[in-house]
Amino acid sequence: MSMPTAYAAGFFLTLFPLSLVFNALFGWARHPLARSALLLVWPQIGLLLFTEVPGGAAPWAIATAGFYALRMLAVREMGIWTAQLATGLWAILWLVPPAGDPAAVHLYALAMSLPLVLLVLVAHHVTRRFGAAYAGAPGGLATRTPRLAGVLVVAVLVAVCTPPAAPFFVLLEGMFRATLSQALALSLVWLLWSWAGIRLIQGMVVGPGDGDAMRDLAKWIAWAYGAGIVGCILLGIHIAGGLS
Amino acid sequence: MNALIALLPLLPALSAVTVQLSASPRGRCAARISIGFGLLAFLLASGLLVASIFGTTLAAWGLRLDPLAALMAVLISGIGLIVRLYSQRYMAEEPGYRRFYVLLDAMIATLLVLVVADHLLVLVVAWHLVGVLLYWLLGQDLENHAAHRYALWTFFTYRIGDLPLVLAVVLLYRTFGSWSLSEILTTLQAGPQTDTVFGLPLIDTVAVLVALSAFARSAQFLLHTWLPYTMSGPTPVSALMHAGIVNAGGFLFNRFAPLLANTGDVLHWIFIVGLVTAVIGSMLMLTQNDIKKSLGYSTMGQMGFMVMEIGVGAFALAVYHLIAHGLFKGTLFLGSGGVIKEARQHDGVPANPLYAFAVERRPARRVRPWLPMAAVSLVLPLAVLAIAHWLVSPGFLEEQGVIILLIFGWLAGAQLVFVTHHHLQSETPWRMMMLVLVSFVLVVFGYTLVSHLLGLYLYPDPQFREHIYAVAGIDLFWFDVLVVLVAAAIVAGWLRVYRAERDAIEGKVRKPGAVWLGFYALVSREFYIADLYTWMARSLHALATRLNIWLRWI
Repeated sequence: MSMPTAYAAGFFLTLFPLSLVFNALFGWARHPLARSALLLVWPQIGLLLFTEVPGGAAPWAIATAGFYALRMLAVREMGIWTAQLATGLWAILWLVPPAGDPAAVHLYALAMSLPLVLLVLVAHHVTRRFGAAYAGAPGGLATRTPRLAGVLVVAVLVAVCTPPAAPFFVLLEGMFRATLSQALALSLVWLLWSWAGIRLIQGMVVGPGDGDAMRDLAKWIAWAYGAGIVGCILLGIHIAGGLS
Repeated sequence: MNALIALLPLLPALSAVTVQLSASPRGRCAARISIGFGLLAFLLASGLLVASIFGTTLAAWGLRLDPLAALMAVLISGIGLIVRLYSQRYMAEEPGYRRFYVLLDAMIATLLVLVVADHLLVLVVAWHLVGVLLYWLLGQDLENHAAHRYALWTFFTYRIGDLPLVLAVVLLYRTFGSWSLSEILTTLQAGPQTDTVFGLPLIDTVAVLVALSAFARSAQFLLHTWLPYTMSGPTPVSALMHAGIVNAGGFLFNRFAPLLANTGDVLHWIFIVGLVTAVIGSMLMLTQNDIKKSLGYSTMGQMGFMVMEIGVGAFALAVYHLIAHGLFKGTLFLGSGGVIKEARQHDGVPANPLYAFAVERRPARRVRPWLPMAAVSLVLPLAVLAIAHWLVSPGFLEEQGVIILLIFGWLAGAQLVFVTHHHLQSETPWRMMMLVLVSFVLVVFGYTLVSHLLGLYLYPDPQFREHIYAVAGIDLFWFDVLVVLVAAAIVAGWLRVYRAERDAIEGKVRKPGAVWLGFYALVSREFYIADLYTWMARSLHALATRLNIWLRWI
C-alpha cells in the first residue's frame, strides 16, 4: 500500500488529524438524509483504498479512537457526538485487515455505521420537537416523549458497542487482531464510549417532565426503529458466528 | 430434555415481552403475568436441581446445566420470585410500574443465561447486560437526577469489570481455539499450561483478569463505592442487587475454579483483597447512621469474606456463603421499609441496655464476673467449631484454609457469647445463654454439614478438592506467622474494647490522640475514595472540554 493511498484511506477511515475533514463535513451537512448517506458511504470509500495495514497504523488508529472518546465526554450536542463516535468506530477498522475477506470488512463498516444512522434520525426527531438535540435542553424526554426516549436510549447503547449489537462484535474482532497492550487500550476506549453514552442519555432522557406537551413518536415509527435495532443485533450475531 | 435448559431463561424473557405488549402501563396485570412466569421458572429450576443432584447434566445451544448452574438458577429464580411478589404492592404507586416489571424480568432472564452459559461469548454478553439492566433498574425514577448519578457509578464500575473478562475471553480463545468453557476447563484439568503472554504465564494472566472482573461485580475495595451509594433506587432493586447480583463475583470464581486451581499466587492475592475488603467494609458499616447505607457496607464486608474463602481454596463454602448472604440480606432489605415506618410511628426508643449498647455505644453497668465469662466466651465457640468440623471431616486441620476460616468463625462465636452474657439483661440470664448456645451449636453444625455436602455436590472429585486447598496454601512458617498476627490483632482489639468499657463504667474520660482522630476523620469520609474518583472524573471532563474548544468541536 503506497503512502498517498494510505493517507487517502486515513481521510475516510478517520485517523486524526485527517479525521477533522469528516467531522467538519458532517457538521456542515445538516439534513438527516445527507448525514446518513455520509455515514454509510464514507468508511466504505476508505475500505476500497485499504488493501493492507501499514506499519504504525494500528496504534495511530487506537490513539485516534481514544482521543475522540475522551472528547465525547464533554459533548452535549447529538450531531457532534455522533460524528466523534463515528470517527472512533471507523478508526477501529484499521485493526481488521481486509486481505482475508474483503466482503467481511465492508460488512464490519456497515455494522459500525448503521447504529449511527439511527442516531442521526432520532436526533432529527428530537430537533423537530424541541428545537435542538442537546443534553440538558430539553431533558426529561422519558416523561414527555417516552417512545422517543426509549428509541434514543437503545440507539445510543447499540452505537457504543453494547453487546449483543453488531459494533460490539466488530470491536471484539479488533481485539482478537490486536496485541495485548492494544487490546487493553481498546478496552479503555470502549469504557470511555460507554461513559459518554450514559452521560448523553442522562442529559436527554432524565429529568422532570415539565414544559410544553410534545407529540411522541408514532407507534409505527417506534416499531420501525425497533426493527432497525433488531437488525443490528442480528447482524451482530452473524458477525459473532464468523469471529476468529 | 436438553431444551429445558433454554426454557429456563426463556420464561422470564417471555414474561418481559408479554408484559410490555399486553399489560397497561399502571395496571396490576404486569405483576400478575411476571409472577406467573416467575413461578414457572422457579419450579423448572427446582426440578432441574433435583435432576442435577441425581447426576443429570444438560447442554444445548451454548448453555450447560452443571451443579453450580443448577444451584444458582434456583437461587436467582427464587429471589426473583420473592422480589416480584414484594414489588406488586410496593411499586404500585410508583411511575413506570410496567417498565419496572419488564426490566426485572429481563434482569432475571439475563442472570439465568449468565449462570448456565457455557459459550464464552454468551457469558460475556450476559455479564455485560447485567450492568446495563441494573443501571435502568436503579434509575427507575426517571425524574431523579441523584438516582441516575449513582446508577452511573454502578454502570461505570461494572463496565470496568467487564473489560478484564473480555480480555480473558480473547486470551482463552486465542490459546485453546474453542468457545466452550467446559472444554477449555477440561483441557486445563488434564494437564498444566505453559503458554505465556508478554512473558507472563497465560493461566495466571487469565486468572488475574477473571479476578478483577469478579472484584468489580462484588464490590471489593477500591471498586466498592457504587454499592453503598445506590440506595436511591427502589427497595426491591436493592434487595435483588444485594441478594443476587453482587454475588456474581463468587459465581465467576467458582465457574473458573479449574483455572484458579492452577494459580496459587493469584489465590493468595485474592485472599488479601478479600481480607482488606472485609475489614474495611465492616468498619464502614459500623460508622453509618443510615440503615440502607449501613446494609450496603455490610454487603461489602460479606463479599470480602466470600472472596477470602475463595482465596483459601474454600470454593464451595463461598457458594454456600453467597446463598446464605443472599437470603438474609434480601430479607433485611425487604424488611427495611417496615423498620423505618415503625421507627417513624414510635420515635420514643426505649432506653434499655440493648439500646444503650447498640446505639449509644455505652456498656451496661451491671456486669457478671468478667474473667470466667471471658474464658467461656473464648473456649466454648472454639470447642463447638472444632467438634463440628472433626465430625464432618476428621482431617480438617491439615487444610490451612479451613484453619483461617475457623479463626473467623471463632471470632464471631466468641463475640456472640460475650455480648450475650455481658450486655443483655434478662430475667433469666442462664436460660437466655443456653438458648444462644444451642442456637450457636445448631448453626455451626448445620453450616459445617451443609458446606461439606455442598463441596461434595459441586466438586465431586476428591483429588480436585484436595488440590485446590493445597494450591491455596502457603509456606508453613509464614502461615504460622499469619495466624499469630491475626490472633494478636484480635486480642488487641478485645483489650482495647475492654479498656474503653472499663473507663466508661468508671467515668474516666480519655482525650483521643491525634492519630485516632485522624483515623476517625478518614473513616467518616469513607477514606476519601469517592471524593478522589469524583475529582478524577471532573478533571477528565475538564480536559475533554478544553480539547474540544481548541479543536472547535470537530
